[in-house]
Amino acid sequence: MSRRLLGLLLVLPALAVIALLFILPLIMSVVGAFQVDGTFGWGNFVKTFDLYTKDIVFTVVIVSLSTVLIGLASIAIGGYLTLGNNPVAVSILRFLYRWPMFIPFIVVGQLMRTFLSKNGMMNNTAVSLGLMTPLDTVSFLDWRGIVFAFVWKQTPFVALLVAGAMASLNRDTIEAARNLGASKLRVLFEIIVPQVAVTLTVGLILSFVTMMSVLSVPLMINAQTPTMLTADIAFRVNAYGDYGVANALGLISLVLASSVAWIYLRISLKERT
Amino acid sequence: MSDDGFLHLRGVASQYGKTQVLKDIDLSIGKGEFVALLGSSGCGKTTLLRVIAGFIAPSDGQVSVNGRDITRHQPDKRGMALVFQSYALWPHMTVAQNIGYGLKLRGVAREEIVRRVSEMSAMLGLSGLEGRKPLNLSGGQRQRVALGRALAIDPEILLLDEPLSNLDARIRLSVRHELRALQKRLGITAVHVTHDREEAMVMADRIVILDGGRIAQQGSPEEVYNRPASSFVAAFMGAENLLHLDGVRDGETFVLQPGAAGEGGSVPVAGRALASGGVEARFRPEAARIADIDMPATQLGVRFFGEVVAVTYPGGHWRHAVSVAGREIMADAERAFAPGQPVAVHVPAEALFLFNTPSGDPVSRPGFPLETVKIPA
Repeated sequence: MSRRLLGLLLVLPALAVIALLFILPLIMSVVGAFQVDGTFGWGNFVKTFDLYTKDIVFTVVIVSLSTVLIGLASIAIGGYLTLGNNPVAVSILRFLYRWPMFIPFIVVGQLMRTFLSKNGMMNNTAVSLGLMTPLDTVSFLDWRGIVFAFVWKQTPFVALLVAGAMASLNRDTIEAARNLGASKLRVLFEIIVPQVAVTLTVGLILSFVTMMSVLSVPLMINAQTPTMLTADIAFRVNAYGDYGVANALGLISLVLASSVAWIYLRISLKERT
Repeated sequence: MSDDGFLHLRGVASQYGKTQVLKDIDLSIGKGEFVALLGSSGCGKTTLLRVIAGFIAPSDGQVSVNGRDITRHQPDKRGMALVFQSYALWPHMTVAQNIGYGLKLRGVAREEIVRRVSEMSAMLGLSGLEGRKPLNLSGGQRQRVALGRALAIDPEILLLDEPLSNLDARIRLSVRHELRALQKRLGITAVHVTHDREEAMVMADRIVILDGGRIAQQGSPEEVYNRPASSFVAAFMGAENLLHLDGVRDGETFVLQPGAAGEGGSVPVAGRALASGGVEARFRPEAARIADIDMPATQLGVRFFGEVVAVTYPGGHWRHAVSVAGREIMADAERAFAPGQPVAVHVPAEALFLFNTPSGDPVSRPGFPLETVKIPA
């Protein structure tokens, strides 16, 4: 047997797993999205846009907003870890910031329910501190809750990547800017962030795609309309057995997620040339 | 050393954890002077530069510029610009942006920045490269961008942290002279850190040699080269050959006793603080001359006897490793002597650096017979 054939044989199991568990279901979902009662057509999409246009916009806005906030928070964390003067504060932050990464989304959802609800921990603390009366308390278990949960859960992941990239920068480039009179904030945004921009973008895109696929958080925090596409897909399948519309919604999610990946590809290609 | 010092260091000390990196550094640098901080790695020269630049706060002492105490000033409030060993150019900025960044930080108008950047590029031979990123420049060009970035803000003091060590050998030689000429033309005060003796010699007005966090000696290149103050300085300035001898001071003459190493001789004290007893004798290979052992000495100086161990030709002359009294020394000759040949190594009096050994004890056994050196029949 030639070496080439042996090589192919070795990758075959992996290839089969991808083909059977990923590519085949994907094709079936795509085909299913265009099928209404056994005939091909746009029916599922018409229905989807009739019922869920608001949810599509809601999802895009929530995930985009979360991505921006995650980006800012991880720049802040990475920046403090790189430029912070107080060694104790830096090591405390370094120890603390990764924790949410190890908590599953469903647990995050549960945590946020007890923390953000009308008589949750956040409001109770504010009331006991005399910052507001029990009558003024508002539940944050709506879009704000989802954003809060996403940012809390995903920031450590992006911050980990960003802080790592910042730590491996040539420190002299930072000191050169300080030497010329740049403030720490300018050093962060004009010297450090541009040098870790690619890492930051990769982290944010991975986060964006992850958040697009989270079901537990919108279900637990915001089970009303408008809600996120994942909750709608689950609802179509579980309540109606309507795989057609669910597939159409899935395809729209896929298009949204891959559009971000496409932006990234363009940036990285431009940088290389 | 000028008394009207422009940059003053008084009793500067620095600690890194429990390690004392710098001790009692007193240094006064005149305006427009080019000072080289010379030392082997770990001697504290870069730390001293960073203390001057303000990146490290000294644990003790004072740094002042023009009579103004700047010990606790931020790096950018000192009127200094630092050129880094790694150049530390910002890879995401073009050459023009790199050079102009300091001006941008100072809120200089855009047109003025453009003017100043093109002035800098022209001066440093970077014209036409302003739009490039540092990644697309050669080592020499990067080094000039780093220099341009530092000079663009018109600093009073230019600090150079081994700026030439990343250049290849041939470019380094020409950049030395360019840098020195530029510094003279701009009349800027410069402090240059290097471990390269020759670089310090050709560039600096004054050389400050550091050893173990202290100043071992400072003076003009000619002074530290010809009148080293200690055995360490002599070795660092190229006098690597070391022999232990005994000597007796006789007024203004120092008489070296005959011993295992050779026949001895007498040299003028010439103002040195030499006391009778054991001395370390140091000299440069190029100052020593090898001759046949039965040739009588023709010049004043000291002769050592030994046996050739190895011979190489580094160019211009032959360099011999010679075993003298159990130690190996290097010495030059116009012609090659074969390994195994007994030879005399002559060192002129003015090229022989003598220092009392720390203990002062005599090193050789009295009455050591000269015959132990093989003299051919």
